[in-house]
Parts: sequence; structure tokens; C-alpha cells
Amino acid sequence: MERAIKEEKRVFMTGNEVVAWGALAAEADIMYGYPITPQNEIMHYWTRLAPKHGKKFLQTEDELSAGFTTIGGVLAGRRAFTATAGPGNVLLQEPVTMAEMMRLPMVVCIQQRGGPSTATVIYSQQEVNLTTYGGNGESLRIVYSTANHQELYDYTIKSFNVAWRYRFPTFILGDGYQAKMREPLVMYNPREKGVEMVPPESFVGNKGSFGIDREPVHLRNAFSMEEELYEVVMEHIDDYNRITPQIVEYVSLGCEDADLVIVSHGIVSRAAVAAQEMLRREGYRIGYFRPITLRPFPVKALRKVCKSTPRFLVVESAYGQLARLVKDALFGLEAKMDEIFMPGLGITSEKIVGHVKKKSELKV
Amino acid sequence: MKKIAKIVIAGEGGQGVQSIADILAEAGNEEGLEALYIPNFGIEQRGGVSVAFVQIADNLIGSPKFEKGDVVVALSDRAVNRVKCHVGMNTTFIYDNSLIEVTEAQPTEDIEKSENEEECMPVEKKDQPVVLPERVGKVIAVPATAIAKKDLHPRVFNVVILGAVVEAARVVSDKSIKNAIENKLGKKFDKNPELRELNFKALQMGIDAVKEALVRS
Repeated sequence: MERAIKEEKRVFMTGNEVVAWGALAAEADIMYGYPITPQNEIMHYWTRLAPKHGKKFLQTEDELSAGFTTIGGVLAGRRAFTATAGPGNVLLQEPVTMAEMMRLPMVVCIQQRGGPSTATVIYSQQEVNLTTYGGNGESLRIVYSTANHQELYDYTIKSFNVAWRYRFPTFILGDGYQAKMREPLVMYNPREKGVEMVPPESFVGNKGSFGIDREPVHLRNAFSMEEELYEVVMEHIDDYNRITPQIVEYVSLGCEDADLVIVSHGIVSRAAVAAQEMLRREGYRIGYFRPITLRPFPVKALRKVCKSTPRFLVVESAYGQLARLVKDALFGLEAKMDEIFMPGLGITSEKIVGHVKKKSELKV
Repeated sequence: MKKIAKIVIAGEGGQGVQSIADILAEAGNEEGLEALYIPNFGIEQRGGVSVAFVQIADNLIGSPKFEKGDVVVALSDRAVNRVKCHVGMNTTFIYDNSLIEVTEAQPTEDIEKSENEEECMPVEKKDQPVVLPERVGKVIAVPATAIAKKDLHPRVFNVVILGAVVEAARVVSDKSIKNAIENKLGKKFDKNPELRELNFKALQMGIDAVKEALVRS
């Protein structure tokens, strides 16, 4: 079988194409999915690439089914994944919690669209609540919010390894802009970079008799006693808390001497970074903080920033979904918080610069 | 050649707006620059105004959409009003004057200067008069439709526009744009080599039209 990516090469493509190539580079075996804009082309490109590389695809009847069949693939020892958006993300929450309960790896790419309901097929950052905390239970999961095509590629690969290593559902949280826009990135084979791909293993149907030849496999998502469930969930929470320091990722720029720190995630960070640079050039002391993992959230890092600069401007294409995570992280500290909330609408650097100049009353 | 350009191209679905934006961005990438192309891909897939945003720069590009463009192109009556909010004092505004009939500028009280224009959230209204942007760097009329019909083929009208944008933006070389066209349409060209000539001729006529207009101004 032809090796998908041999050497590093610069390419110019859409984000959906990038995710399909990233999954291929991560040696994914099969994608399960149901069409929904703006993630459709992940499926389209995957189905185009899959036969050439001995990979598979199954179109299911909806996202509930796409999620459960993904789990089926995982149980059978395949590196399986799915992708969806908007109302599809709502349906997907149930299978994701099953993976969480059974401690199975699962990789999901979300390309956020406008909400609620059908809303727009275009863009938003309104699936933060859902993707970070949308399951029943404790929503123990890992969520990477990407900002450009290079990250889409890098974190798609990383998600497979993180999911299979720690056995928590792992999300790549993109959006409609990232899905549809074209920009350059460098594709590479992770093995060439010394990244070992964690091998998938089959959870069921293994050879031999359990207790004699091998350990028994015990996958449960139903419990009859409160105490039983409590014990299992607490064990998962302990695992999650233990791995959190290894998982959290963030970017912090110029926060040390700042009068105000702009906080954003995902594609809005591009506008925020540009705004920070423009304002700095004009003499404003502006810092910038971006959580890359929205779950687990970089709580320690943000609290540290707050100690030197207790003043934030949260910018997001949603009405306070990121801000809620920020407030939660800062609980107990004294801080001022301003906001630019534009649900379902893109945010430009000009908008942020204008807001800071007009409303923040900062002096140069 | 300056190494940053923000370009907006707007027209009716089917006019090939997205194709030329895509080619333009690819030409930027060909030159090893950062390039970003994003379609405004909402309902216009079913017949609204189709808008494309392109940015080419020599360093990392910020948000995919932006407020003021360096070059803003309108290819239909509705598109003129749709993209007005992206026109600023440094913008070169290009429109197809063989396609768009401009209403003589009325006294400004007739022209609604809504908050929406500032916020770049234009609302489409029926029977709006087509008034060219007033606060603008330059306005260049390129009769692309007429040029294509008369000297070439109506289908390459968008490539005439592409040439016009290339000349107005001056951010990618003619060579890169030809390579990008080749990447996009090479297979068709191989089947019918006349198409290559036709497209490159259209590109050149667009470039010349803008050159001429700039000399005159």
C-alpha cells in the first residue's frame, strides 16, 4: 500500500482537506460519518484518499450512529474517527459519553457552524459549551481549539495519540472558516519527525481464555448501584486530573507588563494576535492569552497572568462561552473583564483595536 | 511590489468570482507568500451575492475576513452595495461598467448611511440605486463583459477581471498567476490548447485595461 505522506511538503488547501490528510498521516483506519456543512469535505476527501491507502469509510444514517459505529471500530482495534458540526455535534454527545464511560479512545473533528438549531452553515464558536461540557456525566474529554491549517494538521495527528494513550474522547475543535478557507501548511509524516503513533488494540474478540491466557476485558456503561458508579467515575476523574498538566496547552504573549490581556481561542486568536501587535506598535501595553486546550483548561497559567494583569478582554464568536471557562478558571481572584461577544459572526483585528481604543480608557 | 494585499471580489453566483479568488490566492502561495482565500459561502450558493476574500502577505495573516480591502471588485448591481462597507480611503474599487449601470450620485441625504455600513453587515434591499462608493482611493471601470464578448469569449470575462485585480493589487507576478491558472485549468488546456491562449489573452486584457486607466488618472 502506498505510504500516504513520504516527505515534508508545503501544500495549499482547505481545512477540511487538511483534516482528512492529517487523519491519513496519523494512520487512521476508518472514518464513520454523516454529512453536515461545513465539515462535508472531510468525508469527501477521506473517501477519495481512503481506497488508495487501504482505508475505509462508512456513511451512517445520522451522527448518533456515526458516533456509535466509531466506537465499534475502536473496539475492533481500528483507529477510527468521525467529524461533524452543529446539530450533528448535539447528536454525537451520546456516543461520546459512552466512550468516556468505557474509557475508550475516540477522535472527533468539529467544524463549528452557527447555532442554535440549523442556524447558519457558515461559522461560529458557539459549540464550545457542547464540545467541552456537552455530555451527561462529567464530560471528561480533551478539546483542542485550532487557529490555522498547520495546527489543524498537527492536532489531528496529536489527537489520535492522546486519545489512544489516555483513553479519553478527544476533539479537534475547528470552525466553518477553518473548514472552508485555503492557506498554506507543511504536511509531514509524523514517524519521520520521531513521533511514534500509539498502536490501537482490539478491546473485544481477543484470542485465548480470559483469566488464563489474558486479562478479562470489562467494558461497562451501566451500573445498578450508586456507590459502584461513584467509585468508577471518581477513578476516571482522578486519571483526568493526573494527566491534565501533561495535556494543557496555551499561548501567552506579552502578558508580563500588560495593562490589559486579550483572551480568545481558535480562529479569533488570529485577529487577537494581530490586534495586540497593532496596539503594541502604538504604545498600548496589551497582552494576549489563548487556551489551545479548552478542556482541560489552562487554569494555572491564566491565574498566573491574572496576578500580574487582573484585567481581561474576552473576544469570541459566541455569547460568553469562552468567557464562562475563563471566569471559572479565575474564581476567587479579583479581575475586571470586558468582552466582545459576536455569536456566529467573524471578528476582525480592526474590531478589537477599535474596541480597545474606544472603550478601555487605556493610556499609551 | 508591496507584499500585502487584501482583496474582496463580489458578484452573482456563476460569474466565477470564487474561481478567480482561488487562483489569485494560489498565485500568492506559488510565490512562497502567505495566502488565504475564504469564500462567503452562505445562502449565495443558491443565488445571492457571492463574495470572496483573499489576503496575500509576507507574514502570518490574521483573521480570514477583514473590514477594508486594498482592492474591492463588484461585478453586479447588488454586489456594489454589498461590498461598499469594505471600501476605504486607500481602496482601489473596480467594477464592470459594461454590466453595472450606475445611478448618478444623488444628494447625500438620499443615500442611507446606516450603521450597518460601518459594521460591515450590509442588508440587501430591492431596487436600491447603484451608487459607487464615495470615500474611496480610486475607482476603475473595466468593461470586462464587453471586452470578453467582443474580442474573446463571454466565458472568460472573469479572467479579464482577474487580470485587472492582479494589476491593481500588484502583489503577485504575471508568471505566478499564469502558473496558478495552469494548475487550475491545465487539464482543460491540454484537451483544448486554444483555451490556454484565450485565458492568457483575457488575463492580459484585464491587466492592460487597469494600466491604461491608471495612466489616464
